[in-house]
Amino acid sequence: MPPWLEYASGTLLVAGAFFYFAGTVGLLRFPDVYTRLHALAKADNLGLGCVLAGLALQAETLAAALKLLLVWPLALAASAGVGYAIARRADALGIAPWTRDKSK
Amino acid sequence: MTGLELPVALFLLANLAAALLRAARGPTAADRMLAALLFGSTGVGVLALLAHAGGGTPLIDVALTLALLAAITGVAFARRAWRAGQPPTKGDDDAPVA
Amino acid sequence: MLNTVLRRGAGFAFLWWVLAEGSTVAWGLGAVAVAACVAASLRLLPPRQGTFSLAALIAFVAFFLWQSMRGGLQVAAMALSPRPGLSPCMLDYPVALPPGPPRLLLVASLGLMPGTVGVRLDDDRLRLHVLDARLPAAAEAKALEAVIARLFGRRTA
Repeated sequence: MPPWLEYASGTLLVAGAFFYFAGTVGLLRFPDVYTRLHALAKADNLGLGCVLAGLALQAETLAAALKLLLVWPLALAASAGVGYAIARRADALGIAPWTRDKSK
Repeated sequence: MTGLELPVALFLLANLAAALLRAARGPTAADRMLAALLFGSTGVGVLALLAHAGGGTPLIDVALTLALLAAITGVAFARRAWRAGQPPTKGDDDAPVA
Repeated sequence: MLNTVLRRGAGFAFLWWVLAEGSTVAWGLGAVAVAACVAASLRLLPPRQGTFSLAALIAFVAFFLWQSMRGGLQVAAMALSPRPGLSPCMLDYPVALPPGPPRLLLVASLGLMPGTVGVRLDDDRLRLHVLDARLPAAAEAKALEAVIARLFGRRTA
């Protein structure tokens, strides 16, 4: 593997770890279920995308790389479905979204 | 292999543990459902990393299958986008819960 | 009809090649699987009129990648900043796309776009949760709708 490819792959892996970390921090810090959903749906999925892209760069064959990248849309579909279900459930349960004025 | 796979996988696992504890604490049922979301993204990421950290390519198949099964949950919500002009029927899980 | 069968067959064969990681050992099984997939897909999703354009697909994927990167960076910045500048609000957004796949794709992608998450879809009204009321969420949703409409060979009103 050429060194530049190794660096690119490592950079993507670290970027992925960063987004996962940001997602977790958002989950811990954000005030209500809707905002926490934003943190997980966006940051974690981008983190997964970075990790998969980083690993795909190391793949030995084109097919193996594409297979890794195939995981991403599936995971996105899953998170879109589950994320929507959570938001709708929260809405049906009558959970009011947190707002700035309410906290003051 | 860049040698980063295992550390990153462990880091994600630590994230998953922290996030799961948070999600399990609630306070609402919807919060606890966030755990399902976590397995979809973090779980798959950890599996793919472990495959490259020496776990072997079968783990990629596991990650792919996990993502595929998780994607099926999207079916329930797809129904809603498909039909138009129908009011929520009785017994629909949209009905407000006391 | 034949055109559709050939196109879908090629698509599934490509998928098989990817899943088998380029190995040709099980191509017999692959042929059976591809044939079964084409048959199932014809039943579940009959060929329809409509123009599929590769340019529109590339435009959608590029738009999606760019926006999800923006969305991820934005939410990461908010989560990590010492004082998260959150001012969430709900937004009722009138959906212009027709029901079916276009609408499904819209609600699914909005969850990854900067600042928006779909909460519920009733008829043509989509309730969105917006992370920051100062964001141009409606305009971004409109832009996404236009890209999706082009993907399905339609124009938004």
